[in-house]
Amino acid sequence: MSNLQAPRGGAKEQSGLRYPANGKTIYHRPLNRAKTAELSGASFAYLFSEMVSYASKKIESIQDLEKRLNVQGHPIGLKLLDLLLYREPARSQTRPLNIITLLHFIKINVWQHLFGQAADGLEKSSDPSKPDEYMIIDNEPLVNRYISVPRDMSQLNCAAYVAGIIEGVCDGAAFPARVTAHSVGKQEEGEMWPGRTVFLVKFAPEVMERETFLGKG
Amino acid sequence: MSYYFVIVGTQDNPLFEHEFGTSKAGGDGQARFPDQARHMNQFIVHSSLDIVEEVQWGGTGQMYLKCVDRFFNSYVSCFLTGGNVKFMLLHQPPSSAVSSTGGAANPRSSTSTIATNPTSPQTEEAVRSFMLEVYESWVKAIMSPFYHVNMEVRSPVFRQRVAAAGRKYL
Amino acid sequence: MYYAQVRPQSVLETGCGETSDAHCPAQQLNSSIQLEADISTQNPVEQILGILALIVINKAGGLIYNRTFGDGLNQLNTNDYLVLAGTFHGVHAITTRLNPGHQPQQITAGGIPSRPDPPSGLEVMESENFRLQCFNTLTGTKFLLFTDTLQANVDVAMRKIYDLYADFVTKNPFYQLEMPIRCDTFDRKLNSYIREVNNAR
Repeated sequence: MSNLQAPRGGAKEQSGLRYPANGKTIYHRPLNRAKTAELSGASFAYLFSEMVSYASKKIESIQDLEKRLNVQGHPIGLKLLDLLLYREPARSQTRPLNIITLLHFIKINVWQHLFGQAADGLEKSSDPSKPDEYMIIDNEPLVNRYISVPRDMSQLNCAAYVAGIIEGVCDGAAFPARVTAHSVGKQEEGEMWPGRTVFLVKFAPEVMERETFLGKG
Repeated sequence: MSYYFVIVGTQDNPLFEHEFGTSKAGGDGQARFPDQARHMNQFIVHSSLDIVEEVQWGGTGQMYLKCVDRFFNSYVSCFLTGGNVKFMLLHQPPSSAVSSTGGAANPRSSTSTIATNPTSPQTEEAVRSFMLEVYESWVKAIMSPFYHVNMEVRSPVFRQRVAAAGRKYL
Repeated sequence: MYYAQVRPQSVLETGCGETSDAHCPAQQLNSSIQLEADISTQNPVEQILGILALIVINKAGGLIYNRTFGDGLNQLNTNDYLVLAGTFHGVHAITTRLNPGHQPQQITAGGIPSRPDPPSGLEVMESENFRLQCFNTLTGTKFLLFTDTLQANVDVAMRKIYDLYADFVTKNPFYQLEMPIRCDTFDRKLNSYIREVNNAR
């Protein structure tokens, strides 16, 4: 272990950090927010539009673009996990220990925080050869509300950004997973919800191994 | 009582360290580790990480794991965040005769068992309050857009906050 | 707000019959619109009601969107639409200069001089068979809405269409400003809104 102790003696505050003029740093702000506090949807839409444009620069494939959006969302998931757990009331302030608790946390808490409503569905893959795949379903992802994907990029789903957030939450909670977003609006049940998106969560083998082990014990 | 607090990242890497002493029962807030023990503290905490990983997936997923390990006169308490970052607190009652210096010499010490008994329910409760307060500052620290996972925390404000929490509860 | 209403009624009337004034700048426009105007003259029994067509023209006079609503409407070919857009753009520019009595007034709100409204130019054009309403945004994009002559609340519809444009076109990362609008969501929302308005008639 290296020594990270604060240097003893006088040269303590020479860290080169700058503070806001009123001296209030992020540490002086409360972490809780009022239930009604909401952000402007329009400003988010413009911001997200620019994020997608930025990610579309010099890409070689659609997968490339989705990967970049995923990477943009990943740190947010990591941070949201602790923030939302902190805001939980003390008795339910528990770390997710199994896949179901974790996905439930994402479906309810994360979605509620980000989009103001719970996700529309949570399913386990019906294919018995893929027990490591789960699906979180959103009928109309907020990030895609104003987006029309051009025909030549038809496989693209910009909700890859949200997939990145989910991946961040899973990784943070020590459930390494690969999360991808897929449009299913054109399939049979998609008549009513043209933007219907499935987030496919595929957990790493070690997670499944641990899950089986814990399930026995 | 002397305390050694360390935040350990997900790769068992140290992110933040702080040493302090009790401020209760007339303590001056200075750590009083014997010189040869100071460098031992890191080893003791490091060895406790194995125990933390054993209990991590058991129970109900509480964040505060209470006192997880003991090595001679050193007790190690642990708090696990949602992101599986470990807050480890090593506490060590004064080694040289608890009864003579820590207890009998100071008349006020009888009112507080925190300073002398590392396993009493009061101590557990005080450590929990300390951990929760540090957790609040921790969440604020990682909310910074410039913070990446497993990065060392250098903010002097964060250090002040940890020190203040130590003064308040321990 | 300064409101200029230009009604080239006579031009249109001549357009439906025989053409006389070859020097009128609206001449080309007139001949292009004629097909739209013919709708009711050809089928006087079943006149198509409600909102008939939408055209969007960018600030350079290029056609970036056109759509007709309802069955049985006459269609122009693409080239004619482009000509129509360019011509209307020119006519509109001329009509903004047509008011000789107008003095731009400096409006001050709290000591800060605010930008005066630009001359709005042609806003409404009525003929026997249809009504054309033009909305010019602050950035110079023009929305042309063709309705039947009795359609009420065209302002409201225009406002709503502008809303849809602001939401589903300008917030779309794959749309480049001033370029033709190809946004599925915009088409979908626009169609469902127009259907709602037309069904209410």
